[in-house]
Amino acid sequence: MAHGVAETVNSVFFFVAVATGLALAGMSFWALRGASQRRVHEHGFRALDSAPRDLDNMPQIRQSMDPADFEFARAKGGRHLETRLRGERRQVALLYLAAIRRDFEQSLRVARVIAVLSPEVSGTQEYQRIRLSMMFRWRFQMIKVRLLIGIMPQPQLIALWQMASSMAIQMEQTMAKLGERAALAAELALQSEK
Amino acid sequence: MLQLPTFTLTAWGLATALTLFLLVRVFLLRVYRRYPFFTFYLGANLLQTAVLGYLYQSYGFNSTTYGYRSAWATQAFVVVARGFAAAEVCYRILGKFKGVWALAMRILIACGAIVLVSTLYFGTRSYQLAVITLEMGLEAFIATWIVGLLLFARYYAVPVEPPAGMVGFGLGLLSCCRLLNDLVFERHVQAYQDVWNYVSAAAFVGILLLWNWFMRRPATQAVSEPQLNTVQVYQSLIPQVNRKLSELNQQLSQFWRTESPKP
Repeated sequence: MAHGVAETVNSVFFFVAVATGLALAGMSFWALRGASQRRVHEHGFRALDSAPRDLDNMPQIRQSMDPADFEFARAKGGRHLETRLRGERRQVALLYLAAIRRDFEQSLRVARVIAVLSPEVSGTQEYQRIRLSMMFRWRFQMIKVRLLIGIMPQPQLIALWQMASSMAIQMEQTMAKLGERAALAAELALQSEK
Repeated sequence: MLQLPTFTLTAWGLATALTLFLLVRVFLLRVYRRYPFFTFYLGANLLQTAVLGYLYQSYGFNSTTYGYRSAWATQAFVVVARGFAAAEVCYRILGKFKGVWALAMRILIACGAIVLVSTLYFGTRSYQLAVITLEMGLEAFIATWIVGLLLFARYYAVPVEPPAGMVGFGLGLLSCCRLLNDLVFERHVQAYQDVWNYVSAAAFVGILLLWNWFMRRPATQAVSEPQLNTVQVYQSLIPQVNRKLSELNQQLSQFWRTESPKP
């Protein structure tokens, strides 16, 4: 077979193609693992039923982030109390950040359900959502890092969280108006019982 | 047939036995009804073995003339059959979700075509290896399709029927193995000539074992037909979501700029 071959594939193509082949094989493992997990856990569209409940705790969380509290704690209890309060406040902020992420992901999940159950989808809209969600995740991680090293003013997170939450709530309301939840629920029930 | 190396002969025998066994299971479990192209692909493999056996018997294993060309022609036939089986799996998984399926088709065809053309264009400068290059292109095309499909299914949280998932995974993995095998062969033609046959046969036997293991009992899970919404739901909701995401990103961006240390 192939006797007398003097000139073969060039090196750049060879390495690029080998890397692509390995990447494809790796991705197929990863994607299939996702599918099996989905079968077990992904009654996941039950996200549709859960509006962001953390909104109930909003006043308390806002209060816990009030900078005036630090001044008060320092004046009354000294630096030790202020440091302790600052640490606890950071924990609250991190939990807050997790809540933002959760609401954001919930909205994305709802959007995917809508897309997958739609007879027509727009490539532009889907691409835009993927791009935006990737940007969100990147910036989100950066903000988290900055929060962890203490250079992110925590009250600003409230605005961020309100945006993520309002998006989820608005979607819930619109869906209810359109009266499509029953169809979705039926679909999800079918999927979960299988 | 006596000219064949023992290992190659053993691998062929094993692959043939496993293919036959799998084909019987496919008919017994009535999988062929839902996966006719996959069934056809298994049959094509058996047919190829018979034809190759005849060719090698008549023209010898190391023939460079008629026997060689005919052997590769059968390989093209099998690869095309595998391509159809892969397309069938894609349709089984995503086909019932019309909107996403249409989108996936467009993207996967474009990606597959790019991969195929790139492989054919950059793959070789040697006429003698043109057939291998063509096979590489087709394998890359199939692998891209299967992986793309699984990624789509993952992104949209589409439930994957276990048979479809396992058949798709096997076809994709087999294509990746063959692609890598062909690449190494093209790179080290003379030294790799014998090993190429071994690796190719071993990969196929491995995938057949996987499929046989999976089909040892009837599939109990099935995904029912989804009830699709009207297109108005998508048209009214998705732009809102994207708008909100865009606002959220702008907000994040502002945080970043506000807080960035000034030079």
